This record gives sequence, C-alpha cells and structure tokens, in this order.
Amino acid sequence: MKKLNYGGLTSRNKIWSTFKEQKYLQAFTLAGIVFLLIFAYIPMVGIIIAFKDYKLTSGFAGFFTSKWVGFKYFKEFYNDVYFWPIIRNTMVLSLLKLVFTFPAPIIFAIILNEVRNDKVKRVVQTVSYLPHFISWAVVAGLLFSFLNQQTGLINQLLVSLEIVDEPISFLADPKYFWAICVLSDVWKEMGWWTIIFLAAIVGIDQEIYQASIVDGAGRLQRIWYITIPSIKETIIVVLILSLGSLLGGGLGGSNFEQAYLLGNTVNYNVSNILQTYTMTVGLSKGRYSYAAAMGLIQSVISLILVYSSNYISKKISGSGLF
Amino acid sequence: MRRMKRVRRISSREDIFVDTIVYIVITFVFLVTLYPFYYSLVISFNNGIDAARGGIFLWPRQFTFDNYKAVFSNDQLLGAFFISVSRTVIGTIASLIATSVFAYGLSHKKLLFRKFYFSLLIISMYFTGGIIPYFILLNNLKLTNSYLVYIIPSLITAWYAILFVNFFQSIPEALKESAKIDGANDLVIFGKIIVPLSTPIFATIALYMGVYHWNDWYSTAFFTQNKRLRTLAYILIDLINRSDLTSILRGGTTQKDVAIAMQTFTPETIRMATMMVVVIPIVCVYPFLQKYFVKGIMVGSIK
Repeated sequence: MKKLNYGGLTSRNKIWSTFKEQKYLQAFTLAGIVFLLIFAYIPMVGIIIAFKDYKLTSGFAGFFTSKWVGFKYFKEFYNDVYFWPIIRNTMVLSLLKLVFTFPAPIIFAIILNEVRNDKVKRVVQTVSYLPHFISWAVVAGLLFSFLNQQTGLINQLLVSLEIVDEPISFLADPKYFWAICVLSDVWKEMGWWTIIFLAAIVGIDQEIYQASIVDGAGRLQRIWYITIPSIKETIIVVLILSLGSLLGGGLGGSNFEQAYLLGNTVNYNVSNILQTYTMTVGLSKGRYSYAAAMGLIQSVISLILVYSSNYISKKISGSGLF
Repeated sequence: MRRMKRVRRISSREDIFVDTIVYIVITFVFLVTLYPFYYSLVISFNNGIDAARGGIFLWPRQFTFDNYKAVFSNDQLLGAFFISVSRTVIGTIASLIATSVFAYGLSHKKLLFRKFYFSLLIISMYFTGGIIPYFILLNNLKLTNSYLVYIIPSLITAWYAILFVNFFQSIPEALKESAKIDGANDLVIFGKIIVPLSTPIFATIALYMGVYHWNDWYSTAFFTQNKRLRTLAYILIDLINRSDLTSILRGGTTQKDVAIAMQTFTPETIRMATMMVVVIPIVCVYPFLQKYFVKGIMVGSIK
C-alpha cells in the first residue's frame, strides 16, 4: 500500500517535472487546444439546441437551461411545405455533380498526359486550375454577365449564330439552373483535381508502357489497359472523399455558394436546398433550434455517407481512407 | 532507335486521331478558362453605355479608365478595398503565427499528453457543430458585427496545423538537440532554427490563408451587418443583385456626380471593374507562386 503510494507520487513528480521542462511547448500547444475547444467543441455541444427551445439571448448557458422539446423541430421540418422540394433539390444537385464533376478531372488528366509537348502540357495545366483560387462571388459575377439576357456574351453568340431566335434568360429560368451549377462547378474545380490524378499517372512505371509498345499496343489500348487500371486506387480515394461531401456538392463543395448566389425568387423551387434553407430559417428568421435540427440532419447523413462509402470501398478494393 | 519510333508514331492513324482529340480538348479548356477573365478585363476598360450595345469581344471599343476611377473614388468601394487588404494581411500573418506555433508544440515527439492533443485536433476535422451553433458561438463571443470576426475564428485551421506538424517533424532532430546543448530554449529554437528552415511550408500556407481572406464573402454576409465592415468580395455580390446605379454610387457622391456617371458607366462595367480588382491580385501572384499552391494538395494527397 505504502509502496504504491510512493510510486504514484514519484511518477506524478516526474510528469510535473517533464511538464515544466516542456513549458514553452506545452504553452504553445495548450493555446491551440483552447482555441479548438472554443471554436470547434462548443459548437459541437451546441448541437443539442436542435432538441431544445433555444433563444439567442440566453447565451451559452441556454444550451443547457433551455427547455427540452424532443423531436419537435424534426417533425416540423418533415411537415414543412418545402421539405420534399428541398430533399429533391439537394439530392439532384449533389448527384448531378457526382456524375459530372467527379469524372471530369480523371478524363482531363488522361488527356493531358497524352500531350507530348511538355511546355504546352504545363501551361494548359497551370491555367486550368487558376479558377480554383477565384471566389464564388467572382464566378457568380462572371455568370451574371455572360448569361445576361440582353448583353450577355452567350446570348450574343447564340443569336448571331442563329441557334436561337430569342435571347434566353438563363438565370431566371428554373430549367437551366442545375446545368449552370454543374457546368460552372466543372469549370472552377476540374483543373484542381486533375493535379492529383495527373500525379498518379506520372507515377506509373514507364516500363509497363514500353513493354506494351513492344507488344504492339496502341495509344487507346494503353490508356484503357494501363493508365486507368493504374490510377484505380487514387480514383477510389477521391471518390470516397467526394461521396463523403456529397451533400455539400462533392469535390468543389459548392452547393451552398451556388444556390445562395445564383438562387432567386424565380428559380426558388429548384435552387432552395438544405443549406440555404437552414440559413434562411436560422439567420434571417432567427429560428435557431429549427435550423440547428436541419443542420444536424445534414451532418448525420454526411457521416453515414462517409462511413458507408469507406466500408464499400474496403469490401470491393481492399483500400479505404480509415 | 528513338528516331524510328517517332516516325512510326506519327504515321499511325490512331496517333493522329488521339492527338487531334487531345489538342481540341486542351485548346477548348485553355480558352474557356481564360477568356471569361480577359473579356471582363476588356469590358472593365470600356465606356459603359457603349459596352451595353454589345459586340465587344477582343478589345475595348471606347477605352476609358472611368470604371476604375469610379471604383476607387466611391467611399463604399474604397472602404471595402481597405477592409479586404487589411484583413488579408493581418489575418494571414496572425493565423500563420498561431497555427505554426501550435503545430511546433505538437510536432515534439516527447510532448506530454501528445496523443490526447492530437485526438482533439483530428476529431475537430471530422465533426463540426454546423453553422447555427457556430453562429451562436460567435454571437456570444461578441464577434459578430466586429472586424475581429475576420481574424480570430480563422486563426487555427486543423488541416494546416497538420501540414505544419509534418513539415516540422521532417527537420532533423539533431539540429534542435545541438541548439539545446548550447543553452537555447524551445522559444529560441523555434524562432532561430525551425522558422528559417520552414519557408516552403510557410509560403504554401500563407498563400492558402491569403486567398481565403481575400475571397471570403461568407463571414461578411452572415456574421456582420455593419456596412463599414464589407469586403470587396461581398460588395461584388451586392453589385450583382443591384441594378440601379444611383444606389451603387450612394455614399459621398453628389447628384451631379451621379448625373455625369450615368453617361459613362453602367452597373455592368462597374461590376466588371470591381471584379477585376478582386481577381487581378490573385492572377498576378499566381504564375510565380503556383508551385506552392500545388504543394499543399500534393502533401495532402500523400497523407
């Protein structure tokens, strides 16, 4: 008994002396940890307001003191007139992006790899990921001016080439909304994700290609039988990443920005998605608990998507992210 | 040998087919990516009323600096420009210091409670409270409607902290050991040895942070109401949603100015000029620093 106590004391002393020895390092780290606790962990605790009647004036204490209401706000959301349109819009936009934005950089990387002039290749690639660093605010501005009904360049082209008789009001017509979102997303993010795929292609052992040339394989055969199978793992990892962020808009994560910046009263029935509605309900109308409930639904779906896509990829290919 | 292969390649019909497709696609991507910026630049240097007639594609028809003069003489736009510049400079420096110092502590392999600190960091990357609890937090910290909302919440980004940790760990331990024997403490080692050896990672993360601060409109739109806190990126959105010129030129300008303005520029050209002010700094640093941009994603993809 006595001995154990004694031992405990020295190890505590030892911890304390190591801690003192590392005083600067500990101070550095703890400052960061305090920051994380405040800016990442308090909001995590704050999720409970989805099950409560929270008022902004009640402060942090309100997380705990406000009244429990159970699943009231989840039920309200289910009965909301916008519930089904929101689910549909969010799903359609996310899936369309998965179908188009995800394969685009793979195809572009393969095409770039076929460019034999290294200088041309480098210049085109460098240009292609420039839009990644441009704000969606600017991209929205570009879209507004290019798609403008009266002065927009696209309409000037379409009319002068006599493809259409009347200029189209792209941004006011709901039927163009999804196409605009998907195409602008591809425009902005394709080059950026090409970097990863191209790096994977460059890493392929050149001897395999040499051997296949000896065997008489053509370029298309080499792409199909060597390039694509060799970057399969990279494709799967990126696919998991984009499935995990499916609701946010996949690789570009741009669903919110697009719906918020390009949405208007005319296309509301297609542009109203979970994230924008959360903002409207929460920040504009001040219904924090209701909006937090919607946010929680979104987080739970995302988490399920990450885990299930990781699980499936492990089953199929034996590799996953975690 | 090499020459022979080349000859065979060029003569192959499949090669010609593949090359044609490849060059069509890359030319298309190249033009579609760059032309929108070029077009905006051209329009921003053109007389507004004239530009509204259309038909300008490659060169300004009535060249003018008026749009830029208007942007830089308008109190609201100029104010937004200074907010954007100052938050980019202050925010980037502050977050570089905060994140690197935090990461330096974490990179020390014998740090007490290191595992615990790390798991807190990793968990914060995968789980978030969502936007509403986050807004409540900022509101309770009195950060909403304050300039500090641009600086403080972005001080530490978990992902950048991890990139820093990885880099610091790649620095040979012997360097730190020998400095320690010479009597230097961890603070001195960090400032005198680690930071000078880590310029590539500092440059990469400074760029990411700088681009984030410069482009961010979200914090302005949702966490502030004060007009004086508007950033240039946010003003751009405001300009998209507005079409009457008088409201854009409000704020300091007289009726007479507005009347003159009506003859030279339109909301469209003002928007283009503002857009260029947002885009040009990025486009200018881009060719020189793009290798650092790429470094970030490559380091990330290896992990």
